[in-house]
Amino acid sequence: MKPTKVGVLGLAVVIAAFLVVLVLSDGDAGVGARSPLLGEPAPSVVTTSIDDVPFELGRRKGSWVVFNFFNSTCVPCIAEHPSLLRFAEDEANRSDGAEVYTIVNDDSDGAVRAFFAANSGDWPKLRDADGAIAVAFGVAKVPETWIIDPNGFVRLRILGSVVDGVLEEQMADLRASQGE
Amino acid sequence: MTKRRLMWALIILLSIGMLAFGSLRDSGPLTQQDRIDVITKRIACPTCDGESVFVSRAPSAQSIRAEVARQVGDGVRTDDEIVAYIAERFGGEVLLLPRATGLDALVWILPAMVTVVLVAALWLAFRRWRQPVVVATSKRSLLVSFAIVCVVGLGGGVLVARQAGQRLPLQTATGGIEDSTASLLAQARLAGPTNVTAAIELYGRVLETDPDNVEAVTYRAWLIMLSARQFDESLRNQAFVSTITALGRAIELDPTYPDAMCFLGIVVYRDGGDAKSAKEFVDRCLERDPPAEVRGLVEALASELNAELGE
Repeated sequence: MKPTKVGVLGLAVVIAAFLVVLVLSDGDAGVGARSPLLGEPAPSVVTTSIDDVPFELGRRKGSWVVFNFFNSTCVPCIAEHPSLLRFAEDEANRSDGAEVYTIVNDDSDGAVRAFFAANSGDWPKLRDADGAIAVAFGVAKVPETWIIDPNGFVRLRILGSVVDGVLEEQMADLRASQGE
Repeated sequence: MTKRRLMWALIILLSIGMLAFGSLRDSGPLTQQDRIDVITKRIACPTCDGESVFVSRAPSAQSIRAEVARQVGDGVRTDDEIVAYIAERFGGEVLLLPRATGLDALVWILPAMVTVVLVAALWLAFRRWRQPVVVATSKRSLLVSFAIVCVVGLGGGVLVARQAGQRLPLQTATGGIEDSTASLLAQARLAGPTNVTAAIELYGRVLETDPDNVEAVTYRAWLIMLSARQFDESLRNQAFVSTITALGRAIELDPTYPDAMCFLGIVVYRDGGDAKSAKEFVDRCLERDPPAEVRGLVEALASELNAELGE
C-alpha cells in the first residue's frame, strides 16, 4: 500500500473515531442539568435566614427541600417567580410537601425583603455570605433550582428559569422514583 | 566513545539533572495569601471569558476566591485538593491547567508525541543530508521505528500528564471522602427503612468519630427501639431504657433538634404507655417544625393522644 493511501486511511480512522465519540457522548436530555453532586449527599448548608432564623440543611432530612438561588435584580429570577409561587402553594397543601428556600445570591437583605413584599412568597430566604453555598453547589449564575430528597441526596438541578409546571412534573417523577 | 559524543552526553545529562532539580525542589513555605493567589490563578472564572479567578471581579469569582481563602485558612486541604473541590463543583472547564485523566489527558500527551515525532523526523532528515547515498530501509525497520516513536511519545506524554495534571477527590493521592460523616449519615438514611441493622451500624460508625452527632445519636436510638419491638419483653425494656437515655442526650446536645423530641414522644407512648408525658414531647416537637416525614408520624400520634386524654 502506498504511504499516501496509508495516511488517508489513518486520517479517515481518526475522523471516524471522533464521530463515534460524538454520537455516543451523553448530550443534555430533559430539564435537569448535569452536576457531580447529583445522586450524592448534599453539601452541608448552615446559615441564617434574612430574618435571623438559623437554618441547617442536615436538620431538614425527612423533607423534600427545594433551593432556589436568587438575586432580586436578575431578570430570569423575576420571570420565574410566578411559577415558584404556584409550586410552593401546591406543595404547602401536601402532607409531604417540599420545603422551598430562596438562597440569596450577592444581594442585600433589604432588596430581597422588598422584592418578596411586592411579589409575595412567604418561604424562608437564606443568606449566603461570601457565596459559600453557591460554590458548594457549583452555582455560577442565578437562577438555579436544586431538589434534595428526604434522605439528603441531591436529585435535580435546573439551570436558568423554571418554566410553569416543570417543578411539579419533576417532583412527581422524583416522588415516584422514591416509591412515594 | 569520541570526545564529541562524550560532550553531547554530558550536556544531555546536565539538562536532565537541571530539569529534575527544577521540578522537584522544595520551593519553601508560602504564606496563606501566596497560597490563595497560586490557587486562584489555576482556576478560571466560570462566568467570564479568559480570566482567572485571581484577576476577575465577577461575583462568582469573588465567591470562589472567598471559598479558597476559607479552605486555605482551615488548613485541611492541600492546594490540589482545593482546586479539585472547585472543579468538582463547577466542572473541569474551570481548570486553567487541564486534568491528566480522560480526554483532557490528550492535551498533555499530544504535544509530547508531536515533539518526539518531529525530533525523529529531523534526525532522519539530517542523516539523509549527511549521507547522500540513500539507505534503503525495510518495511519492518520502518514499523519498528514508528512503534518506538509512538511508545516514547505516549509514555512521555503520560509522564508529563501525571506530573502536571490535577488529582480529584477519591483518587489515591488525595484520599477519599467516602467515610466522611456526611457520607455515612447519608448512607445510613438510605439504608434505614429497609436495612435497619446496617443503618444502626452506620450511625455507630459516625458516633465513633463524632460522639456528639445529634442526628446519629437520635436515629440510632430510634432504630434500635423499632427493631427491638419484635423481640421479647426483657429486650424491649432494655432497648426502651437505652433509647430514652440516648434521646434525652440528643435533646441535651441540641434542644432545637425536633426529631429527637418527636421520637421521644412516640417511644414514651408506644413503648412506655405514658400518654401525658408523650403529649408534652409531641407538642414540643411540633413547635420545633419537624421535617415532613417525622411530622407525618407525630401528627397522627397527636390526634390519638388528644382522644385518649380527652382534649
